[in-house]
Amino acid sequence: MSVFKRTTKELILKISDFFDNIEIGLLVFREAVKSYLEEDMESFKRHLEKIETLENNADRLQREIENDMITHSILPQHREDVSLLLNEMDEIIDTIKESIREFIVEMPDIPASINKEILSLVNTSACAGDELIPAARAYFTAPHTVREKLLKVYYFETETDKLSFDIRKHIFQDMKDIDLARKAHLRYIINHIERISDFAQEAADMLSRMAIKIII
Amino acid sequence: MILFFLTSGLFLGWSLGANDASNIFGSAVGSKMITFRRAAIIASIAVILGAVIQGAGTSDTLGNLGSVNAIGGSFTLALAAAVTVYSMTKFSLPVSTTQAIVGAIIGWNLFTGNATDTGTLSKIIVTWVSGPVLGALFAVLLYMLITKFKKRARIHLITFESYLKIGLIIVGAFGAYSLGANNIANVMGVFVPAFNLQELNLGLFSLSSNQQLFLIGGIAISVGIITYSKRVMDTIGGNIVELTSEAALVVVLAQSLVLFIFSSTALSNLMVRIGLPPIPLVPVSSSQVIVGCVIGIGLYRGARNINYKILGEIGIGWIATPVVSGITAFLSLFFMKNIFNIEVGHKIIEGVPESALMTGVTGNDMSEIVKYLLFGILIAGIILIIYYYLLERKKTRELKLSEEKFWKYLK
Repeated sequence: MSVFKRTTKELILKISDFFDNIEIGLLVFREAVKSYLEEDMESFKRHLEKIETLENNADRLQREIENDMITHSILPQHREDVSLLLNEMDEIIDTIKESIREFIVEMPDIPASINKEILSLVNTSACAGDELIPAARAYFTAPHTVREKLLKVYYFETETDKLSFDIRKHIFQDMKDIDLARKAHLRYIINHIERISDFAQEAADMLSRMAIKIII
Repeated sequence: MILFFLTSGLFLGWSLGANDASNIFGSAVGSKMITFRRAAIIASIAVILGAVIQGAGTSDTLGNLGSVNAIGGSFTLALAAAVTVYSMTKFSLPVSTTQAIVGAIIGWNLFTGNATDTGTLSKIIVTWVSGPVLGALFAVLLYMLITKFKKRARIHLITFESYLKIGLIIVGAFGAYSLGANNIANVMGVFVPAFNLQELNLGLFSLSSNQQLFLIGGIAISVGIITYSKRVMDTIGGNIVELTSEAALVVVLAQSLVLFIFSSTALSNLMVRIGLPPIPLVPVSSSQVIVGCVIGIGLYRGARNINYKILGEIGIGWIATPVVSGITAFLSLFFMKNIFNIEVGHKIIEGVPESALMTGVTGNDMSEIVKYLLFGILIAGIILIIYYYLLERKKTRELKLSEEKFWKYLK
């Protein structure tokens, strides 16, 4: 029985670690974009490395958690849901890594005049992800509080959509001095940043369904 | 010859194990909280212990309903009940062995011209009704308690499920013990008046004639659990209403409590001592009780998700079982007596001691067989434990190796 107890504790820690990785990933993402906009490439590269490590850790933890749940027959009724949730949350950190890589590969030329808006977009999109983490943690300890925690995710996702729309409109309608290719490139980068909040919303929808299932 | 007459009882025991063990571990196995193998091992051991330690009370009640006074009669009744249970189990209907044997005893009473004790019969029927009701009440109360505790304690879901898993094993063992104690009368009750075996001294403890019979019956139940209960477990696990892990625990605990209450002589005596009426020691249908528990939880959670079609099928089984069993018993007794010339029982004449009419079994040959049987079970048990341990070890080692390979490849 002691072996079983140890596995349970280890699994709880692994799930918590997984969430930590996503949470830190979101923080580093903000810092990385800030460094890029300030043209501090040394910091940016350091942040990219950090994100790559966090993404690798999250992948490893996700596999270990799924493995442990199956081999030790833990949470048989909710196992599939939990695996899907972790997968959805892993998409967030995957997107963060992809976005940062896009920056280093494509080196988008972002006009200094929209730096503030881009930073705001990054922050709002990341906030949707941030708010998902306490809700996901609450699923395991206080499932009846999950839905109220998720409200903030939906709020930040809507805000991200609005900001993204405004920035794109500003780029395409007001910034006459930049060419269409550059505008399209900027739109592509903005869409990438926006995807973080989209994944957070998808995970929130799933989490909401899971919470109902566990409460009734 | 004695062993031949016992075969019908053993068959009935096997049917009971195949069918009723699903009521104990069906929810746990159906919800994948416990593997079938683990459930079968725990249930087998506990059911034998329950039958031998606490099986006397309920068999006395069946004896009052109809004291089958010939071994041929006991054989025929057990066979009729077993055939009824087996054929209904084949159709995946959770039938009740209790009702099958009571139907068969009434059939014997009708055949031999003995009057059925209506007092005992009504006591049995009242218990059949109150069993599921009590089960439903216990289930709702326990479910409320466990959900409130879960909400307040804010335990991590994984820790909570691990506690549930341990709880299901303990409660399942208690349930199997109660099943053995309560339902052994269905399997061996009809043989009790016809058997008078020598007390078997095993050093640490001794087994009376009835206990030796109950031990053999308990082993038959265990064989039924191991060989055939998985199919019925799958039916109980998810068909009536979808059970969560905590509901599975509650259902088993509520059902075990009901079975324990209706078979505990000590509890009944305690009630008398404190000035309350005694608890009737009656074999209760565990199938009925579990349905009561599941309905109780279903209603508490909002009755919309109850599968009424399956409930209807179960209800038909309840009425059909005693009727079919009674008719089968009556016809079988007729054939036994008139075609095979086997003595199946006499009318009990008032004033004449029953032993004067008894055509039963006495002597110590049977006790010797029981002794060797016990020794054999002990050896087989030890071999099984060692085999199980080695198998588990091999599996763990293989898993560890494959894990190492997997992570090595990934790196």
